[in-house]
Amino acid sequence: MKRSFFSGPYALWMVLFTIFPLIFVAFYALTDKNGAFTFANLAQGFENDYMKVLWRSIRLALECTAICLLLGYPCAYILAGKDFSRHKSLFVLILLPMWMNFLLRTYATMTLLEDTGVINSLLEKLGMQPKKLIGTRGAVLFGMVYNYLPFMVLPIHTSVKKMDERVIEAAQDLGANPVRVFFRVKLPLSVPGIISGISMVFMPSVTTFAISRLLGSGMIHMLGDTIENQFMTLNNWQFGSALSLVMMALILLSMGLLNRIDINKSERTNNW
Amino acid sequence: MKRFFKGLKGSYIALVLLFLYSPIAIMIILSFNEGKSRANWQGFSLKWYASLLDNSKLMDALEVTLIVAFAATLASVVLGTLGAIGIHACKKKYSTALINLSYLPMTMPDIVTGVSLMMMMVFINKYLFTLPRGMFTMILAHITFDTPYVLFSVLPKLRQMDPNTYEAALDLGCTPMEAITDVIIPEIKPGIITGALLALTMSLDDFVISYFTGGYVQNLSVVVYSAAKLGVTPDMYAMSTIMFVTVLTLLIVVNKRSTLESIS
Amino acid sequence: MYENTKLIELVGISKSFGDTQVLKQINLYICRSEFVTLLGPSGCGKTTTLRIIGGFESPDEGTVLFDGKDITGVPPYKRRVNTIFQKYALFTHLNVYDNVAFGLRLKTPEELLPGVAKPTRAQAREEIDRRIMRMLRLVKMEAYAKRGVDALSGGQQQRIAIARALVNEPEVLLLDEPLGALDLKLRREMQLELKNMQQQLGITFIYVTHDQEEALTMSDTIVVMNGGVIQQIGSGKSIYDEPKNAFVANFIGDSNILDAVMNEDFEVSAAGRVFECVDEGFDKNEPVDMVVRPEDIMLVGEDVGMLNGVVKSVLFKGVHYEMIIEAGSFDWKVHSTAMYAPGSRVGLSVVPSNIHIMHKMAREA
Repeated sequence: MKRSFFSGPYALWMVLFTIFPLIFVAFYALTDKNGAFTFANLAQGFENDYMKVLWRSIRLALECTAICLLLGYPCAYILAGKDFSRHKSLFVLILLPMWMNFLLRTYATMTLLEDTGVINSLLEKLGMQPKKLIGTRGAVLFGMVYNYLPFMVLPIHTSVKKMDERVIEAAQDLGANPVRVFFRVKLPLSVPGIISGISMVFMPSVTTFAISRLLGSGMIHMLGDTIENQFMTLNNWQFGSALSLVMMALILLSMGLLNRIDINKSERTNNW
Repeated sequence: MKRFFKGLKGSYIALVLLFLYSPIAIMIILSFNEGKSRANWQGFSLKWYASLLDNSKLMDALEVTLIVAFAATLASVVLGTLGAIGIHACKKKYSTALINLSYLPMTMPDIVTGVSLMMMMVFINKYLFTLPRGMFTMILAHITFDTPYVLFSVLPKLRQMDPNTYEAALDLGCTPMEAITDVIIPEIKPGIITGALLALTMSLDDFVISYFTGGYVQNLSVVVYSAAKLGVTPDMYAMSTIMFVTVLTLLIVVNKRSTLESIS
Repeated sequence: MYENTKLIELVGISKSFGDTQVLKQINLYICRSEFVTLLGPSGCGKTTTLRIIGGFESPDEGTVLFDGKDITGVPPYKRRVNTIFQKYALFTHLNVYDNVAFGLRLKTPEELLPGVAKPTRAQAREEIDRRIMRMLRLVKMEAYAKRGVDALSGGQQQRIAIARALVNEPEVLLLDEPLGALDLKLRREMQLELKNMQQQLGITFIYVTHDQEEALTMSDTIVVMNGGVIQQIGSGKSIYDEPKNAFVANFIGDSNILDAVMNEDFEVSAAGRVFECVDEGFDKNEPVDMVVRPEDIMLVGEDVGMLNGVVKSVLFKGVHYEMIIEAGSFDWKVHSTAMYAPGSRVGLSVVPSNIHIMHKMAREA
């Protein structure tokens, strides 16, 4: 028996459980409730209300990615640097939340932000007016950054750590002081890590539904929870599938964009 | 001057850690709070932990989570490892196609994976044979997204392996099956373990896909979601604390065994 | 030849890494336009010495002087030296042109065009381009200017590394075993090219290698190091002909080292007979080491030479045969174009000027 036959069961499984379900999505997206072919579902997706939802999702995801990049890059850089790389436990601590259940992490932010949550309770205690924190756009953004920050730190850290010490010395040898070494050598060489981090944050941000549902109290609608709504509450599989196609298109587009920016394709680290 | 910068760097890291851990820390503290207040310490109590045990819904969900995670991990390790061995031995065209296919569950948003599987399962149940959504379908779904992680953990190890290893085994008298079990598998064991741990983590943590493919069966994440929609309650703090301590302990244990190097 | 002015001076340099002391009180000076090689086995401290000169390591004790000024605490980007690293350390995110341009772009227009009053940025850019293209022509890589560095072969990357360093017109170039990764033929070519470049440009080269042949080919002066201590400094010929101790004798070229006794000036006893030699200044009857190079031993018929011996083994080395001949209870290594089969009885002779006497080395603790 050839070894290559072992790939058979795996291939079969992947086709059955990945390709076939997608065919269902395509089918429902392009048919109406009677089974007739139609573009109406997709057209509905381009209506004003839903365009707003799409735009809101993209915008929030971009903001979240930007914040994670601004906060996460220095974090990763410092931890990979000479002063702190010995303290591996610090790095593990930053990554630990990643391994905690994602809902419980969102739960933790809810605890802080609820109307009767920790922040408001403390404000009351201090005699100040409680603020509306949960159910706002800011709450959703906060929740996303809180959840996804470690995902930005990890690939950047890997990228910075992998850097050849000798290349840094070469730059110094050629006359670059520490500031120039950073901007002309270290930063460009860490770009693969940045790209990896951006995709690991942007993708889940733009497709999340639990965070927007829980921290937005059902009032901040994003693409993810709109889709969930279509399927579980409104029982409109057709429109839900159409929106799913839109979401997949969005993801493919962003992946394509990131791929083009990626300078060193061979440097793309598989962070598993 | 150097020490000033080091201090600055350290403060920044401390701030980030503060940001990441204060919500968790607060939850842990409140889990021991006698009362329900968020700002007032009303005395030390373990009553919320006790109430967890009475919460049958939660306990059932915990059971579901563990069974699904372990079952799916087991199945995906077998499927994925054999798949990797098969792909490694295939011609380039076929293997690249299969590898690209394997990227699909990882790059597709989990919502789309979830709803697509749900639609297919409902269709099958309605028109083909009775298979209502439940624990079994949940396991099937988990296997689907777990296996690629196993594949991508094992494949690099296969590629690092000397290409003549399998042939050397045959040359020395092994049957093909023996060569695989006695020679190839021990060499790729680190990859298999990494893949298994990854799959386990993904399954234990999963929410979206379980939400759509579980039907009336709920895993832990789904129960937390349903409860959270109604607001935050103190027994959830106890649950969170337990989970946090579990993960922390696991990571410490793993760290001691230096397997962490290969994962992070 | 080199001018006799000290450019770099190391005074009392010591360095330890953890528990290991890598350099022990090194004193060394290097002159302008000199091609100096630090030669020694792995771990002898030669690379550390180079890195201290470059500024990448600070010594625990001692000072580094450049043109008379103390530069011990000066960081690498402020020193007027450039380095060629062992694995080239090219910038993978830049193409060939930008790699070579890196150092030049960090300089001000005034630094690039010292003769010009108020030089503009545009003029600076032109000057940079001029220098880069000239340097690429020198290393024969002009056609590759816009290529990425990843796709280049080892030899090509090496030339770019050289161009990148030399285009800055440093006073001193440090080379850390730069030819190690190249195959033999390419290495030999590059050795000659580097030597030519050095002579043309007049730059001081400080070269590190463990390959004694390489050192002998290229250097004006060789510094032999072992165990963090300088063993001998001199020209290739002087070190080869007159090694100071057994280590140097063994490290440079092949040698036969015999336990001997210096009877008196110009006379030494070894291998059971007395030899006439050309060394003096040793104590009467002092135990010494006697060195004879394999190629200096003449093979003659039995009973015709100074010693009689039996051939134990023969190896064909292409250029000559290498034979081990037992004579006077010592296994002599002999290089000869004549071949004597194992078991043959032969006679050995050596001319007095080819016998070299050294003081016995103190056994290292």
